[in-house]
Amino acid sequence: MLFVQLLLGGVQNGALYALTAAGFALIFGATKVFHVAHGSAFTLAGYVFLYGWTHNWNSALSSLAAVAVAVAFGIGMERLVYRPIQRHEGSFFTVFVAAFGVSIVVQNLVGVFAGRGFASIDTPLSNASEVLPELFLADVFWVAIIVALVMFVALTLFLSRTNAGVGLRALAQNPDLLRAYGLSSSRLSMLAFALGSALVAPAAILTAMTTGLNEAVGNHVMLLSMASTIVGGVGSLRGAALAGLLLGVAESVVLVFLETQWASAASFLVLFGFILFKPSGMFGAAVAR
Amino acid sequence: MIGTKFSRRALLGSALAAPFIRGAAAQGEPYVLGSVFPQSGPNAEYGPVFTSGVQLALQHIEQDRLLQRPIRYISEDSQALPQQGVIAMTKLVNVDKAHWTFAAFTSVSKAIAPIGDRAKTVMINGGAVGPDLSGLSPYFWNVIPLAHLETRTLLPYLVGQGKKRFALVYVDDPLGDAILKELGEQLPKAGGELVGSFSIPRDAQQFGPVAARVRQVRPDAVYIASFGAQQAQIIKGLRNNGVSQQLCSYSAMNLESIRTLPEANGMTFTVQKVDYAGGDALTRRFAEDYKKAHNREPTVYNANYYNGCRLFGLLAQELEKTNTPVNGDTLRAALLRVRKFPLVGGTGEFDDAGNMMAAIEVVQWNNGSLTKLV
Repeated sequence: MLFVQLLLGGVQNGALYALTAAGFALIFGATKVFHVAHGSAFTLAGYVFLYGWTHNWNSALSSLAAVAVAVAFGIGMERLVYRPIQRHEGSFFTVFVAAFGVSIVVQNLVGVFAGRGFASIDTPLSNASEVLPELFLADVFWVAIIVALVMFVALTLFLSRTNAGVGLRALAQNPDLLRAYGLSSSRLSMLAFALGSALVAPAAILTAMTTGLNEAVGNHVMLLSMASTIVGGVGSLRGAALAGLLLGVAESVVLVFLETQWASAASFLVLFGFILFKPSGMFGAAVAR
Repeated sequence: MIGTKFSRRALLGSALAAPFIRGAAAQGEPYVLGSVFPQSGPNAEYGPVFTSGVQLALQHIEQDRLLQRPIRYISEDSQALPQQGVIAMTKLVNVDKAHWTFAAFTSVSKAIAPIGDRAKTVMINGGAVGPDLSGLSPYFWNVIPLAHLETRTLLPYLVGQGKKRFALVYVDDPLGDAILKELGEQLPKAGGELVGSFSIPRDAQQFGPVAARVRQVRPDAVYIASFGAQQAQIIKGLRNNGVSQQLCSYSAMNLESIRTLPEANGMTFTVQKVDYAGGDALTRRFAEDYKKAHNREPTVYNANYYNGCRLFGLLAQELEKTNTPVNGDTLRAALLRVRKFPLVGGTGEFDDAGNMMAAIEVVQWNNGSLTKLV
């Protein structure tokens, strides 16, 4: 029963990792910007929801506010940080350092305004009960699964059935051709940041309910998002989401065989395995040089 | 004639300057006090808590005109990480020429101790509890009871309450290792048993899987040895995932984020015994002024760092009386000569290794309030 317990726990965490990883992969795939500050969107969304919750806002309103702040942050980063840099120089390193700097600023601002320390949402949703002997499940498990599924179905439909979605895919594959067709790569980049950042909000809200938040929570999210993107195959949204799920399951199920201190390491062992034996990732295409 | 004029001027000048002579001396080269506390990262909650104790002591030292020279206080950010702590301590010692420093966190304290030791700069710990912090350096002193003293108070109490089987969730660092060793040695002596120990990395945030492993060993009580945001995450992770047994820990649980965490209700832990309301005049003054400044009751961490800073004031005053230079060696000699000091919580007595003795009590969080058990 321990295996089933750990597997289900891993699926719950993996669903949240999948959302954040998909957001990162969407942004990176479409714009080729290594958005290291993606974890900050997660932190901000979580704390905004927490603010609404503690001030007795309606849950839906708090959730909308969290999504809005994450989207605004993503768009702000694209407009005010990445675009000016790319206009002048646009090297990977400059973009990386700028995004890293912003994430540190956000971390400190959250500490100043929301307090330094642990914060969480007290809700019965996260209280597990024994559904079978030795098997504990909380309602938040089902919420995480359903939210992740709904978000991915909606995203897939958007990317495949709408002009903007098709444009985003085209931007990922051939931006020059996109411009030749008269489409605005600038607007589509903004859309990629908005959508990618919006995806972290549900994960941040559910994390506030389950493991809680602190000002540095975004660092862990960012690491997992990057690992998922590499494992899933750079540029593959589906791959990043599945890899996020896989990493979540791996860091939980590994405790059947190993001591608890190896939980986090399991994710990165999976990452190393892919880098060594399948560098293109689960769904990435090998490129001949 | 010229000589007379000069004498008159000198006399007039001296007379006018007389009221300010002591003040001028007091405005001499300042004593430099520095802290190596976490001000950012997952353990940032501790930084302001520790700093507020130091700041209140500085305020009282100034109000009481304890010293002839002013004090300059420099705060450095350790992020509760040894590497950052070493950078901060190196700056305090080599650039700022600190006379006295404050340390926290076992791993950080162990990392910075050789730097302070080489520079003969006193390091005061009021927050870390790893037992091996005792005797770390002749210049490293503890104004907090270390973990072995805390566990030796807590374990007999809990075993007496019928909690025989203990599980330990501990952070993979010197503090966690020290608690693991202590529980392994002390539980059999107290009549209990360590039935499972679960090490976690410092940056771990998911504790659902750990809870599943903890449930498997069927403990009567779960001891948590961690710090900062992680300890709240562990409590929430265990409670939300079916671990309903008694939770227990050490003084790090005396933190605002734990007090307000609903899942921490019933958490039993040990702290130093300090009677803020009925104690001596110094303790009452500390408690009243702290409450006035921060609009809440002080905790032992505030008191410890207040004591650490006040100890500097008392020792430096002792040295100033005999015109002895204030440095690590003279401060240490004064500490070992005087031994007993009036501090918050009563008279603080130091042993040869620079450890302050203190009474310990077992307390419990009950709906946000601290209930004394023993």
